Amino acid sequence: MDEIETILIIDDELQIRRLLEITLSANGYKIIHAENGKNGLLYAATHHPSLIILDLGLPDMNGQDVLKKLREWFNKPVIVLSVRSSEEDIIAALDNDYLTKPFRSGELLARIRAAIRSGDKKNDAPVLEFGTLSIDMINHIARKNNEILKLTSTEFSLLCLLAKNQGRVLTHKYILKEVWGYGYIEQTQYLRVFVAQLRKKIEDNPSKPALLITESGIGYRFGE
Amino acid sequence: MKNNKDVKLISIPSFASRINNYVLSIIIIGVTALICAPLSNAQSYHVVSFILLFVVSFMATFMRMGPVLLASTVSALVWNYFFIPPHYTFHIDKAEDILMFGMFFIIAMLNGVLTTRIRRQERLAREREERTNALFQLTKELSKASGIEDVQAVAIEDIKNHFSFDAFFILQDGNNMLHSSGKSQNEKKFTQNEYDIAGWVFKHSQNAGKYTNIHSSVDYTFYPLRGARINPGVLAIKTDEQFQGDKQLFWNTYLTQISNALERGFLGELAQKARFLDESDKLYKTLFNSVSHELRIPVATILGSVDTLLTSPHAGNVQTALYNEIFTASLRLNRLIENLLNMSRLESGRISVRLDWYDVNDLVNKVTEDLKDEIKPFNLLVSFPEDMPLVKIDFGLMEQVLYNLLFNSCEHAPVSSNIRLNGYHENDELVLQILDRGPGFSKEAIKNVFKKFFRVEGSKTGGLGLGLFIVKGFVEAHKGLITVENREDGGAKFTIRIPSLSPEIKNLQNEY
Repeated sequence: MDEIETILIIDDELQIRRLLEITLSANGYKIIHAENGKNGLLYAATHHPSLIILDLGLPDMNGQDVLKKLREWFNKPVIVLSVRSSEEDIIAALDNDYLTKPFRSGELLARIRAAIRSGDKKNDAPVLEFGTLSIDMINHIARKNNEILKLTSTEFSLLCLLAKNQGRVLTHKYILKEVWGYGYIEQTQYLRVFVAQLRKKIEDNPSKPALLITESGIGYRFGE
Repeated sequence: MKNNKDVKLISIPSFASRINNYVLSIIIIGVTALICAPLSNAQSYHVVSFILLFVVSFMATFMRMGPVLLASTVSALVWNYFFIPPHYTFHIDKAEDILMFGMFFIIAMLNGVLTTRIRRQERLAREREERTNALFQLTKELSKASGIEDVQAVAIEDIKNHFSFDAFFILQDGNNMLHSSGKSQNEKKFTQNEYDIAGWVFKHSQNAGKYTNIHSSVDYTFYPLRGARINPGVLAIKTDEQFQGDKQLFWNTYLTQISNALERGFLGELAQKARFLDESDKLYKTLFNSVSHELRIPVATILGSVDTLLTSPHAGNVQTALYNEIFTASLRLNRLIENLLNMSRLESGRISVRLDWYDVNDLVNKVTEDLKDEIKPFNLLVSFPEDMPLVKIDFGLMEQVLYNLLFNSCEHAPVSSNIRLNGYHENDELVLQILDRGPGFSKEAIKNVFKKFFRVEGSKTGGLGLGLFIVKGFVEAHKGLITVENREDGGAKFTIRIPSLSPEIKNLQNEY
């Protein structure tokens, strides 16, 4: 990470913008901010940020519309900010990372690092290693403590999908679409059951998962 | 009024007036015969037959069939007896006179019959026209009426004009219920029995009351008002004659028109109500969103700033301690704001439950992670059965429920005591239990713990007394139940039961 990464903050709240700027500048990022959706879209085009932090409650435009417009051409990561208990927003976040206010700055920094890294390169090596877990994409084999795990094909696809996107939140719909197909997009119960099964096989402590982390109301994230 | 004339035309003449008509016809023939007496000579008795024929035809224009037939028979006999020679006998000499007599008889009869038939058809046509007109009038006036009250007034007025009897509406309340104090236009007070009959009519969509097979002892006839989507209510009428044939059909059509107009009124009111609710909902949402935004943003800023300060390496011991105080205080403020906002959502009845399948472990992990600092001094024991199925809940709401309950236990239980969280699935219900070793509740307090702003007297902790109120509200939003009891060996025990079927997952076991 030699070159300085630029982060665009789109939020109408001056205090939140300043807080983010101070926190992120202290951690070596260059910050641009926009106070509304229109400027946000403009700066995204003119400043080529490596990442955008987008608040969904904007005065001039619906945050979800901003996201949609942005996604027509912007292929770098977006982290969506929203206040708690408005789950409609969460669903809109679909392929983007997501954080609810109030958030811990440590958490935000971790998300930013994960998002920028996965934007640089996806985990597409043939064999992925996570502590005592290794996943061999070519031979469709996963090992825990050097022992081959008995995984069903669905469990393996699920594990691969999450592991390849390590650190990023994948929404329920996205996972269901990728692993089960379009017809299952509303069948959250399948995902939950398979995640529970998978946790029993790969986690050190299945009731306190460290790898398959639940992002409540949004989806799952593969831990670091 | 022309409408009253119509009623008389339709009505059947009384027995007395029928007899009078027969007598009248005989008198007329008699008088005519007397007037014609000078013509009883052999030369002009044929003229008399023409005069009599004329009189019979004339009578046919205003009399009914019976008297006319009587008149034609009597006139034939009178002509024969008094005028055809030989006089004062029914005997007829000449063959041509026999022919004349026969023809007279037939012509008189035909004349009478045909004239009365034409008259009857004319009368029917007029009646039909009157009815069409009446319906047209009704439709026109009903279409002009706006609102249920107006429609009722128009209908009552029209019924009075066309049928000459009083009509009373008993309308439903908008929730498909008929009340004895329902909105009836002319504030007629029915007896309880009559209301019961009206209720029956409304429920079964069948006529009842006078002139029907059901409850025929009362003074009113009750007709259901039927609509395509809404049944507006019941119409009660007080009439002395039963409807027959055409008139019954006419009345039914009439009723349909009124029902339709009333239904339109009801649908209009419903649409208006929905619009109004929609508006007030929008207003509430806007207000709620801006208030919650204004409350949350400063706290989020404080929390975020202090969090950054806490992680900065330059802070000294005193600073770190103070930052921690600010952090704790703003967390508390944040909790308070969330509880106040949740209370507002509960009170306005605008909690919408979004159910989906969740793993209870995820719920517990999320809450214990959020409360990890509070839980640290305690020994939290979580127990779920190995084969715990997924549960259908609103994650956000249940998160609050569990958060508030665990937070409560942490506030009241002695340090390093056990706090238990048990969960299981039983009879299609998710059961969650939180048990602590705190002081429990007094007899008085246990009745009130779920009440708004209730605080246990002398409790060391602060708070507004909203936590358990919200817990109860959110559990009930899930159609669930929460109970609290004191444990026999000390402490409080909260039990939540939420209906949740096991998920249907096919072909899960045989997939490899």
